[in-house]
Amino acid sequence: MVRPGTAVPGTEETALVARARNGDVRAYESLVRRYQEPMYRLAVRMLSSSSDAEDVVQEVFLTAWRRLDQLHDDSAFVGWLYRSTTNRCLNVLRARRPMADVDPDTTATRRVDAQPEHAAELNDQVAALLAALGQLTPEQRACWLLREVHGRSYDEIAHVVDSSTTAVRGRIARARAQLAEVMRPWR
Amino acid sequence: MALNGPPEDNALPCGRSLERLWERLDDGAGGPGGAGRSTDGTDGTDVTDDHVRSCPHCSAALSGLGELRTATTSLKEERVRPARDLTARIMAAVRAEPRGLGAMFALDAQERGRTDISERAVAAIVRFAAEGVDGVRAGRCELHAAGTTEDGTAMVEGRLTVSVAYGVEFAGVLERVRRQAVDACTARVGVLLARLDIEVGGLDDGARTGEPGRSIG
Repeated sequence: MVRPGTAVPGTEETALVARARNGDVRAYESLVRRYQEPMYRLAVRMLSSSSDAEDVVQEVFLTAWRRLDQLHDDSAFVGWLYRSTTNRCLNVLRARRPMADVDPDTTATRRVDAQPEHAAELNDQVAALLAALGQLTPEQRACWLLREVHGRSYDEIAHVVDSSTTAVRGRIARARAQLAEVMRPWR
Repeated sequence: MALNGPPEDNALPCGRSLERLWERLDDGAGGPGGAGRSTDGTDGTDVTDDHVRSCPHCSAALSGLGELRTATTSLKEERVRPARDLTARIMAAVRAEPRGLGAMFALDAQERGRTDISERAVAAIVRFAAEGVDGVRAGRCELHAAGTTEDGTAMVEGRLTVSVAYGVEFAGVLERVRRQAVDACTARVGVLLARLDIEVGGLDDGARTGEPGRSIG
């Protein structure tokens, strides 16, 4: 059984990456259409802001275009996108943190929480999960989302967050325990 | 598959491991890979064993894990989408990007201004020219500036990877590719393609390439 998102990239995708590397803008546009949604979903759950998430996705794809030359393995493109998206989200969150330190009273507006603009579409249980996700550290949240929602492998996540596979496993296990604890009284 | 996480972090007050409960929950759900798996595990943690059924810690934890799993499935299935114009915004930024074109080199420099062209633009011309030869598909092309000739013409050199249709006569076809590429560079850009190494990266089954006009048939 291949988990969603961990499938070996098809030769079609590899060919698109190769063409994009040669400057084929239309091939690159196909890649953008194919992968902007998963990257956006990751970013929006990391940042709880659709506009910040869109900014991140835009930067990710622009930077990828600039650096295609440095990508030695065309089939590694998607993993590269996940790494880039995750790191940019973590940077955005780090940049937000000092605001909270300066004035705790204003943090509510920047608090990571269930996303108001989508809240109506989600059932209460998912809303509770999103609120619980907001209680995790950004790194824990990233690892958990990459694993449980995006189906990335432990090895890949370790590479994304510059950590060991063992540490990532531990981090995800603790995140899961914490989330389960919050979800327990939900019903 | 042993988990290497620190068990003490996730141990329940009764001593059972939360991770094992989670694993068992997965297996017991009859999901792919878990269906039919025996429940009499060797680690002593069985979702349905006597301890778990009677232990308040275990059953509370199981209910939390169950809720989490259901919510996670919903989260996975939700389709939040970016604004419709995100692709257009990304592509506008990409098109406006002078980088991504490879280095620029001068075609000529006159009093009325100099003309530069990117290595990548020349590479694109080489690829198009190569694909003009029947049975050839162009892959990666990397070129770089290689100085100027005595009369001031810019020179480039580099490598081209091609796939060739099965059954064609290699030497002749590849020589045609090289000649077409050189001619195109001279005629269309005004640069001299001084050297082009060609690598055959693959063989195509001509009938299956799906590239219009590229099959040998």
